[in-house]
Amino acid sequence: MEQYKLFIDGEFVDAKDGKTFESIDPGTGLPFATVAKAGKADAEAAIAAARRAFDKGDWSGLDVSARIAKLQDFADQISRQGVRMVMTECMDAGQIVGYAKIIVMWSSLLLRNLATYAATKFPWEEEVLASGNAFTPGREFVRREPVGVCVGIVPWNFPTTLAMWKIAPALIIGNTIVVKPASNTPLTAVILAEAAQAAGIPKGVFNVIPGPGGELGKTLCTHPDVDKIAFTGSTEVGREIMRMASDTVKRVTLELGGKSANIILDDADMDLAVEGAVFGTFLHQGQICESGTRVLVPSKIYDEFLDKMKERAEALRIGYQLDPTSHMGPVVSKEQLATVEHYVKLGKEEGAQLVTGGKRVEVKGMEGGYYYAPTIFANVNNKMRIAQEEIFGPVVCVIKYDSDEEAVAIANDSIYGLAGGVFSSNIARAERVARAVRTGTMWINNFHVFAEYCPFGGYKQSGVGRELGHWGLEEYTQVKRIHVPYYSDRNTNFGFTLLSDNKKIEGFNYNCPTNVIAGHGCLSAIYKVIVDLGCRRAMILTDPGVRKAGLADLVKNTLVDFCVGIYDNIPPDPDLESVDGAVDKARELKADCIVSVGGGSVIDAGKTVCVALKNGGKANDYINRWWALSEPQTPHIVVPTTAGTGSEVTNAAVITDKIAERKLFIADPKITPNAAILDPRFTMTLPKDMTVGSAMDAMTHAIEAVTSTMANQICDGQAFHAIRLISENLPLVVADGKNEKARLNMQIAATMAGWSFTIAQVGLAHCMAHTVGTLHHVPHGAACGIVLPHVMRFNVDHAAGKLALVAQALGIDTKGMNERDAALAAADAVEALMKKVGHPMRLRDVGVPEEDLFRCSLHAIADSNILFNARPVSDPMDVYNIYRQAY
Amino acid sequence: MFCPAQTMSLVTLNPGAGHAVKSALAEKGVQGPIRIELRFTGCCDASLGLSMDTAHESDLVEEVDGLTFVISPETHQLVGEVRISYADETGRRGFVLTSSKPVSEWDGFAAGSIRM
Repeated sequence: MEQYKLFIDGEFVDAKDGKTFESIDPGTGLPFATVAKAGKADAEAAIAAARRAFDKGDWSGLDVSARIAKLQDFADQISRQGVRMVMTECMDAGQIVGYAKIIVMWSSLLLRNLATYAATKFPWEEEVLASGNAFTPGREFVRREPVGVCVGIVPWNFPTTLAMWKIAPALIIGNTIVVKPASNTPLTAVILAEAAQAAGIPKGVFNVIPGPGGELGKTLCTHPDVDKIAFTGSTEVGREIMRMASDTVKRVTLELGGKSANIILDDADMDLAVEGAVFGTFLHQGQICESGTRVLVPSKIYDEFLDKMKERAEALRIGYQLDPTSHMGPVVSKEQLATVEHYVKLGKEEGAQLVTGGKRVEVKGMEGGYYYAPTIFANVNNKMRIAQEEIFGPVVCVIKYDSDEEAVAIANDSIYGLAGGVFSSNIARAERVARAVRTGTMWINNFHVFAEYCPFGGYKQSGVGRELGHWGLEEYTQVKRIHVPYYSDRNTNFGFTLLSDNKKIEGFNYNCPTNVIAGHGCLSAIYKVIVDLGCRRAMILTDPGVRKAGLADLVKNTLVDFCVGIYDNIPPDPDLESVDGAVDKARELKADCIVSVGGGSVIDAGKTVCVALKNGGKANDYINRWWALSEPQTPHIVVPTTAGTGSEVTNAAVITDKIAERKLFIADPKITPNAAILDPRFTMTLPKDMTVGSAMDAMTHAIEAVTSTMANQICDGQAFHAIRLISENLPLVVADGKNEKARLNMQIAATMAGWSFTIAQVGLAHCMAHTVGTLHHVPHGAACGIVLPHVMRFNVDHAAGKLALVAQALGIDTKGMNERDAALAAADAVEALMKKVGHPMRLRDVGVPEEDLFRCSLHAIADSNILFNARPVSDPMDVYNIYRQAY
Repeated sequence: MFCPAQTMSLVTLNPGAGHAVKSALAEKGVQGPIRIELRFTGCCDASLGLSMDTAHESDLVEEVDGLTFVISPETHQLVGEVRISYADETGRRGFVLTSSKPVSEWDGFAAGSIRM
């Protein structure tokens, strides 16, 4: 008899206690090889070797291409052992030779192909282009690294293939592995070790320890140096492995039992379905986890199907596995044979009808072999134990059903969910059924089809994780995120400010890419701008008032044939539903560009429409997301009809969420409009109250930007000039709405204020304004104006220098004033300007109920802009007091 | 005809196992013979388990610690004497069955309950 040894640390060795065991040929019942029997000490030695090899880095630290090249050598060496491996697999596991030669060859191909995939397509490093963190920009990337020392516990039904399912991904990723083959079938794993040694796989990277699972399992599954366990076997043992592994929190993948349903639909090709049922059940004597051992057949074809299946099963030739004419060989052991007999007996006791089989088969000249006839039970109730428990032998239950829904319900009535099949001449119908079955694999008009790039694994108690393909490789990786910030500076680290009294952020990233075109008649530029953006189908987005004023049609006429339609149903403070309506229209029109003609509400809706158009879904899918977009959105051109929001150049959109009672944001550089056309003709008809309100919105942007913790010199420059322009020009446009020069200056001021707060952010005044806008429908600009002077006074001791400069921009002569007084004078000047232009001065004037001020303060303090306010705000009573002052 | 075991023990209870069996039966309010049987819990490895059952004519029967165990002669011939222990550890609670002729290489590895 051939003698096989353990393979530990690159050497073939005897067990430390010298024990051996015999491997039995199930076709004869006779031993044909002896194998060293590993014990606890051998398992510990193998784990130690694997640990040393991993930590040394000769394998895990290899360049991927070098490691893959070595594995290609390994695959070649397996091929060289091909005939020996096929013969050994047959004699060890009882596989018929016609099958063994395919799947053993596949083991080599699997290794080669997965290795090539890993070398060429596996994402060893991935960039996270949009991190979702607005405060700490930088490079974010993910590395895939090996887990460490893996243990592969292999079953006896496919000893070579299922060993390779674990060895290949483990080694490809850079892990080391200890393989424990099944005691019934230990030999081919040792031959794989010979191939590995011949290929020069470094010592300790690959170890094989045949031996009893009950004895070795505890060591393998609890040893602290083991990082991952991959097990294929029974659910009972898998459950115990999972429990043991939990003590040291090992990664676990489990491929466990199954009781798969093979659903024959009433329109199936009868001959194909019968063949599929026979193949799905009796291949390898039914000793396959995913075997379709519950064949579900419609009542109206049940008898015909059963007759044909019986005829086909009885035609299968049972013989010695190395006889090339055999269709079925022996089951793997006498214990397995006894188990099959036990379940057949149980089936009869449960009242199932034995249609054929149900007995041992004697093969001439092989009287000691473990042969069993293909067995069919009819009239099986799915609750019977033979329908619920895996038998792992050539025994099938044929179950009757009356509708597709009933078939799915029966299929799902199992603790398992490993695989299944559907046979139908209607692929769409078959796919509907396949989708409804809770299982890891579904084959349509086929069964037992595996491929190295397709995942395999179970739902429910059939397992955890997946083997094969990309998904199988991932199971052997650790994911490491690496963050490299824009700024390596303690004063530009937003997070560090949480533990510091200095909240000021020094560094900044100014990214304001909008193409701004300004001046009388500049609308005509849109005809070129849209071409430059590569667009031909613009949908104009606007509101009913702007449409009525003829402004949207003016844009439409300028776009000539490039306008595919106008959507004019955007309300003030747009909510999710109104945005979704616009998205639906844009999709219907096949728009490739949005042109927003309106104020901030329309432009913000336009930004959101662009995101939904680009990425699919609804507005709700994208709100409250910061820095989450990784590529340019649907092109967006804006033609503002107000001078205030600055939305034409900002990277934020505000949408009302009625359920949350909040205004929620999308904040992302990728939603910044591509072009803004500041043609003063579009603001000439703006009513006085809206002119004033939107101007105070812009004023608030500018003042909150300069006092923000994120303020910087570029933003300051823009903000101070915006303040100056508003202070000088707002009274002029109030006095004469047709003053085109002043209107243009107000547009420019709003745009500059928009640029300033895009980077520097806003603060408490905006938080408070957002709140009363959402809860009490106070126009945003009016709300901003009312609370702004009070917030300026609240902030005075944290932003006195900046506010003093604001005073100067507002035209105050601050000579002789100390900084604090000058800062307070700025607040007074804002109030004076508001009075001059007829702006509402108190919250009571705009419909905010006094009794709701405290609730407003609770909402306002939860607004994200609170983070950037010059003075830290943590107490809602502070906010409440400001509301009261403004009331 | 029941065939009580005469020549060799069918089943041995480790300390605490009998009490655990009685508690399990009492909890469910059931009585009757406890069958030692082969069962399969998925891919590859059969094991021994316990279930409440009626005794069959051909069964081997043994009374141990006031409990009646039955086993089919075929199963007894395959596995030999069965030893039952009760595991009560963190995360692992149940009956562990081993046999003088192990039914699989995972003999005694996992713990299970009594099928009622």
